[in-house]
Amino acid sequence: MTALQPGLAGESGLRDLLTGFGRDGHGGGPVTTLSVPVADLQAAVRRIAAHPGARLADVFASLENPDTDGSPVTLRLVWGLDADRRYLITESLVEGDSYPSLSDIVPGAFTEECEIYEQFGIRAAGGKPLNRVALPPWAGPDWPRLGRAPAEQPKDVHAPHHVGGHAFEFPFGPVRQVAVESLYYGLVTSGEELVDLYLFTWHKHRGVEWRLRGMTPGEALFYVERTEGLGAVGNSWAFAAAVEASLGLEPPPQAMAARAIALELERLYNHAAATAALCQSTGLVIGQAAAEIALERLLRVNAAVFGHRYLFGVVDIGGARADLDAAALRSDLPGAYGELQRAAAALLSTNSFLDRLEATGVLTEEAARRLGLVGPVARAAGLAIDARADHPARPYDQFRPEVAAQDAGDVLARFRVMLAEAAESVRLIGEIGRTAAGPGLALPPGAGPGQPAQPANSGLGWAESSRGESLAWVALDDGGRITRARLRPASVRNWRGFDDACRSQNVFTDIPIIEASFWLTVAGTAR
Amino acid sequence: MPLWTLRGLRRGVVTTRYPARPDPSAVLLPTPPVFRPDALTSDLADRLVAVCPSRALGRDGDVLVFDVGACTACGRCRAEAPQAAEDSGEFELAATAREHLIKRIALDGSPR
Repeated sequence: MTALQPGLAGESGLRDLLTGFGRDGHGGGPVTTLSVPVADLQAAVRRIAAHPGARLADVFASLENPDTDGSPVTLRLVWGLDADRRYLITESLVEGDSYPSLSDIVPGAFTEECEIYEQFGIRAAGGKPLNRVALPPWAGPDWPRLGRAPAEQPKDVHAPHHVGGHAFEFPFGPVRQVAVESLYYGLVTSGEELVDLYLFTWHKHRGVEWRLRGMTPGEALFYVERTEGLGAVGNSWAFAAAVEASLGLEPPPQAMAARAIALELERLYNHAAATAALCQSTGLVIGQAAAEIALERLLRVNAAVFGHRYLFGVVDIGGARADLDAAALRSDLPGAYGELQRAAAALLSTNSFLDRLEATGVLTEEAARRLGLVGPVARAAGLAIDARADHPARPYDQFRPEVAAQDAGDVLARFRVMLAEAAESVRLIGEIGRTAAGPGLALPPGAGPGQPAQPANSGLGWAESSRGESLAWVALDDGGRITRARLRPASVRNWRGFDDACRSQNVFTDIPIIEASFWLTVAGTAR
Repeated sequence: MPLWTLRGLRRGVVTTRYPARPDPSAVLLPTPPVFRPDALTSDLADRLVAVCPSRALGRDGDVLVFDVGACTACGRCRAEAPQAAEDSGEFELAATAREHLIKRIALDGSPR
């Protein structure tokens, strides 16, 4: 880890480091960790945020000494320096109850400032009202937290609204329609048009990060896969990669190929499910049935190829666990994808369907960039970031994906991006599938000839899940057990763009359409 | 819109006849294990209990207690001890009482 000298956050020290990333390419590995004195944190954030291609990907905290009362807190910021194909993690030790505001410089950090307050009791300076984002209102001082309870409970803050005429808040949820996750929308409306929308996402809070403490990585993987069932491969890949970085493990190539095939199959079925949801939200029931036939066939491909409809049990620490039925992949995938292609072609020629999607739920590129959005939601707004291309892990360094992007930022643009990605996934599966793909686990460090052991006690992992970049960070103790696991599925980033998309001159009936086009999960954020 | 009606009619009915007829795709599903008592030693039973992530396995003296309701068919017990745990192929697990889902397997030929 590099230590930034005090006072150099805005000076040549950090500037030279950032400039050097572009020059050095992959020198020093894809992740750099920088210790930043907390007094210099705001200057460092300004400098990094101004670096071309820099994106604040996550902010989280951990107790420096978990076994000590009153332990200081380490604040970590994970930056995606996408143009430099690198991640930069800054670490700052916070002693006391407050730290310099991040959201004053990077507005997208506000959600994490709220979460850190609820979990660790430390607050961004400035006294800005904080929203409740993570823990339910009845989470008292004894609630299982990653740190200590805040001195005051966060309020469910509603910003003041000034509208001509009358406006009221229409409460929707958290109990919603059948099989849909618990989520509360407060819809502020003057009758039909949506003036504002609040989301409360804490109803599904399960304390997964808290529960992972003390587990071995193998034990934890079971829970990580199930944190967000529709993102089992993406999230477990990111977590396994974080552990592998900590332990200095390099999975064998055939295991990485198996992971990638599973990841692309996961992308395919999610995009089929989103297509069905778009049809449902627009009342096109036959289109919905057509897309759901495609979805069911794709889930059966998953079961035939990897033994599980939702691809649980594929990723393992150090490689891949599940054997891959390549013959089933070759025989079953074309027919299943053909169902989706036919449904999509029919939908794209149905004007009444396209009319509901066009100019609905518009998210600008500026908003996507400001909020640090990822995945198809960002790409449809013109922000063409994709962890497979920007931070390629094997086998994506060899099998490079074509990144689909659109400009309009509306529901139709997101739909088009998903369809293009589905086609690209099929192409990638075909190409990767021609190489050796199957189970395999890395040897522990030092177990093989000429294999230097370079374990660290922490590591960052990532994968481009169907919803976007999924990140994970772990810290292990000397016995190899988890002291802190941070899970950051893509849904965590993208829910903060949902209210912007809904506010852009939409009406009530547009909201399910916009939600389908985002295709996020509450589980992925309420972990 | 009439085109969509025609598309739907042309695609036909794809719903299976299950449960009237077996669903052929069911063979693809992971299923809870079945344990072989003659292969279950006490040490092996303890390893299986330790490896189960959903606490579906427990010990009661010389008996391995298996709660099928808690099993997620993750396969970790089968990977740990393939000689003692096999895929049951059984996914029709509905029961009318919770206790019907609790199975007790005597270890290593010992009396229940």
